[in-house]
Amino acid sequence: MKLNLKTKKFLIIEDHAAMRKAIREMLYTLAAELITEASNGLNAIAAMEKEKFDIVLCDYNLGIGKNGQQVLEEAKYRKLLPYKAIFIMVTAEQNQSMVLGAMENKPDEYLTKPFNAQQLLTRLERNYGFKEYLADIEQALADGHLSLAIRYCDDKLLENNRRMHSSLLKLRAELAVKVGDFKKATAIYQEILTQREVYWARQGTGIIAYLQNDFAGAITIFQKLIEEHPMLLETYDWLTRTYEALGNFPAAQRTLDSATKLSPQAILRQKKLAAIADKTGQLDVAEKAYKAAVNLGKHSVHKSPSDFSGLAKIYSKTNANQAALKTLLQMREEYINDPEAELRAATLETEVYHHLGDESSSKRAYEKARKLSEKLGDKIPSDLRLDFAQTCFLNGDHETANRQVEQLIRNNIDDENFIDDVRHMLKATGLADRAEALIQPIRQAMIETNNKGVDLYKRGKLTEAALVFQKAIDAMPENKTIIINMAKILLCDLKASGFDRTKFLKAQSFINKAAVLGVTPDKIGHLQLQLEKLSPSVHAKS
Amino acid sequence: MPRTASPIINFPAILASSIHDIKNSLTHIRELIKQLAKLHSNAENSEFQLLEIEADRMNSSLMQLLILYKIDSSLFKPVIDEYSALEILADVADQQESLLAMNNIELALDCPEDLFCYCDNALINTALVSIVNNAQRYCQRKIMLSAHRIANNAVCFCVEDDGAGYPEKLKYGQDTHSLESNFSSGNTGLGLFFASTIAQLHTQGPEKGYITTDNNSRLGGARFSLFLP
Repeated sequence: MKLNLKTKKFLIIEDHAAMRKAIREMLYTLAAELITEASNGLNAIAAMEKEKFDIVLCDYNLGIGKNGQQVLEEAKYRKLLPYKAIFIMVTAEQNQSMVLGAMENKPDEYLTKPFNAQQLLTRLERNYGFKEYLADIEQALADGHLSLAIRYCDDKLLENNRRMHSSLLKLRAELAVKVGDFKKATAIYQEILTQREVYWARQGTGIIAYLQNDFAGAITIFQKLIEEHPMLLETYDWLTRTYEALGNFPAAQRTLDSATKLSPQAILRQKKLAAIADKTGQLDVAEKAYKAAVNLGKHSVHKSPSDFSGLAKIYSKTNANQAALKTLLQMREEYINDPEAELRAATLETEVYHHLGDESSSKRAYEKARKLSEKLGDKIPSDLRLDFAQTCFLNGDHETANRQVEQLIRNNIDDENFIDDVRHMLKATGLADRAEALIQPIRQAMIETNNKGVDLYKRGKLTEAALVFQKAIDAMPENKTIIINMAKILLCDLKASGFDRTKFLKAQSFINKAAVLGVTPDKIGHLQLQLEKLSPSVHAKS
Repeated sequence: MPRTASPIINFPAILASSIHDIKNSLTHIRELIKQLAKLHSNAENSEFQLLEIEADRMNSSLMQLLILYKIDSSLFKPVIDEYSALEILADVADQQESLLAMNNIELALDCPEDLFCYCDNALINTALVSIVNNAQRYCQRKIMLSAHRIANNAVCFCVEDDGAGYPEKLKYGQDTHSLESNFSSGNTGLGLFFASTIAQLHTQGPEKGYITTDNNSRLGGARFSLFLP
């Protein structure tokens, strides 16, 4: 493939002026003309905000400020790059790719320093060839058309393009997992594994075991993979998830601990480690991880006030009250007039001032927190609402506290781990006996509503069933079971009474919401496929 | 003789992190050399070329040492996927392109387009680059890079040249795992040792990869072969 670089827009991100110049001159020898330079991550992001680049060459090590991975993360998170763009991460060491790897945010290519013009050109040509070959699949995926993506992928597999075969199979298996077609995915992975021990195929079998709730099987696979490839951090993330699903938090913490030791720069992993260590009571580990998250957050798009409040909470638990107040002060400086940050701060200050025996400051902080919670309403994240509810109880404000807890339970009733967190909080507040009295009626009501809706649905009364579920969704907007059932009813309605754009979009939005809430693909993938069959646009294309 | 307790806790780790630093400095030195060469009117200057060649050798050695350190401390094993053999060889040729031109050496590629193999392409690349780099020192003017399939679905990568051939002390057979390194001769055979180590890490069932060195080159000189099961 001959690539014309004349019209391609390049961005070079490199902190050393001499290296920048060298790369620019290298690009000139390849006939590139449109070249922008950035000496640090901030400038790079600013450049990407202004212009859509085709090719980004980014050094991993950018000195002070964001590192290359953080630049990539932010660019992807904020969709600053067109999906056809090629992002090349330049590293000093070979195989650094594995350490930097995460589930998301992989660059298209790693290039080890030093490299020459010919190497760069070959890589660019290969990447463009690859992207062009897969373009229709990627486009279908970007449009959310899974069935179309699968069809394109199957068509391409029939072409028997040897060079693309392995990548296509990998993609096809991932698509099968996405729609819950585990049989197909397993067949692909097994076929590859009979040839050779290819890590992504082995990891794929582990992911399928996890999604099918075969947690013991998943753990065996992931542990063996980590033993063989201690630097493949993606596998640590899967193992952590599996332990979490089992409620084995000490093991999840140990896994995350090993992963963060290998790759201390990954902020999302540090956050997760902090939260789990807080849960298991390993406060020293939690403190260290929260500190790391706060520090990494300085240059990261994943910066969040919960890192500061998490750290302050650990300080409060260990009676390091001054350190807690100082951390909250830092948070306020970072998040000026941010109501969520203010609520986090006020909630913790209520507790910290109480520890310090300053009851009037504690009362003031509590009043402030209460007002902020009313102002924020539905926008309070569950972890913060849980802390706030505890503070309400400790202040004897049972009325507010009960309201918060009820809302928490309603929204998270099918998340056993979170309901356990609520139980723990109530226990810590000396209200252990209240837990079931609060949880069971809500669970019972949900089951009854669900049964009522399902019953109506079975008797063919679709409109009535939809009404029941709509009411339930209004009351518990994040309940996964209700959302999935609502989507099923809309699908049924669409099949029975023909295409209706409003109902179609509504069904799609419920499926999307279920996915966002973490419902596994095996429970929604087939719904997505059914919905796509009903779409007139797919019919038009076929 | 019993060793007295060393005050140094983890020498390999210190060595590795220093190598890392040296490698970074070397990258900058190489850029500076390039810029200096441009300032000089007679940029064809052979001293600059020699600098470039030596810097490239140093870089290649440092990279191998870092990888060997990681293998030694069980930090990594090859990550196997399927790759085109031709692309692996083309990458090696790309990397050595400017040096080859400077040395006026002709590099030929001989590999079918439909040859695919299971390996860690980055590790195989590092091994082959180092062998080609060495071959440039000892050949007359020709190097041939090739790959072909052999029995049992195994693949063999070869680097052949038209030089004087390998001396006896650098001969590897299938069962040679390391050579008696001869530091005093100035040739430690690091490149061969590295290639042999990497080859052995590629396994398929009971089969292990290996290297051989002999003087049966089609070009009349040395022949290096890397077998992957």
